Amino acid sequence: MSDLIFVALSIFAVLGAVMMLVYRNPMYSALGLLVSILSVAGLFALLNATFLFMVQIIVYAGAIMTLILFLLMFLNIKEEHLPKEPKKYMLIAVGAIIMIPFNMVILKAVSNLPDADMNIMANSDFGDIKPIGMLLYNDWILAFELISILLLVALVGSIVLAKRKKSKKENA
Amino acid sequence: MISLTSYAFVSMILFSIGVIGVIARRNIFVIYMSIELMLNGIALFLITFARYHFNMDPQIITIMVISIAAAEAAIFLSVIILLFRTKKSLDTDIFTTLTQGEKS
Repeated sequence: MSDLIFVALSIFAVLGAVMMLVYRNPMYSALGLLVSILSVAGLFALLNATFLFMVQIIVYAGAIMTLILFLLMFLNIKEEHLPKEPKKYMLIAVGAIIMIPFNMVILKAVSNLPDADMNIMANSDFGDIKPIGMLLYNDWILAFELISILLLVALVGSIVLAKRKKSKKENA
Repeated sequence: MISLTSYAFVSMILFSIGVIGVIARRNIFVIYMSIELMLNGIALFLITFARYHFNMDPQIITIMVISIAAAEAAIFLSVIILLFRTKKSLDTDIFTTLTQGEKS
């Protein structure tokens, strides 16, 4: 059963990513990325990372995708704003050829590792919210504090960048 | 049978599609979404190894990656607003200079 779910989620993830790659309209690209992100969240749940499953859906599918879609509507993108991409499919083929050796190396390295049980575990608190929280606040507390400072800096920086500057006519 | 290699294969495909998106597309939105896709592929790889080694540290690293992606989203999208306001286009090829404010 979980094999079937894995195959379905992987196909959705890859199809969403390909949709993101080939569509010209950025709105359709964003929807393809949304499908891909939700499928990756499902794969997290198959790997017993229940807390990460929720975080992926809330942060990526909820917050970041909403920000992207809101911005796409806010900028009111029309056909003439989109770049012309005459050599898109040729460049995609070139990129695929470039990535093949890299993938071969990683897959060779991973397939040599000893096999282990990767099925979903029943009645286990692995990846649950309590052990993750204990680990986060005991061993990774410095990284946690640095992340909070980073988020503050990003907040201030995005406000400063996107603030509408006063034009010279208004000043005069 | 699902094994480590099949999960690794899916995450490698996602990462590769992200790299191809950065190489092949010129729309700045699609380039940003490709970067997000690369981060997703790496997160899946980390979670796979967390399950494989029965160790929760990679899951903490994935939380860090997701929060850095959130911070990056805020900065990148405000930079897109700034560039779109000055150039009225989403083409990366015309964003060639960093001195727009002083020239115009």
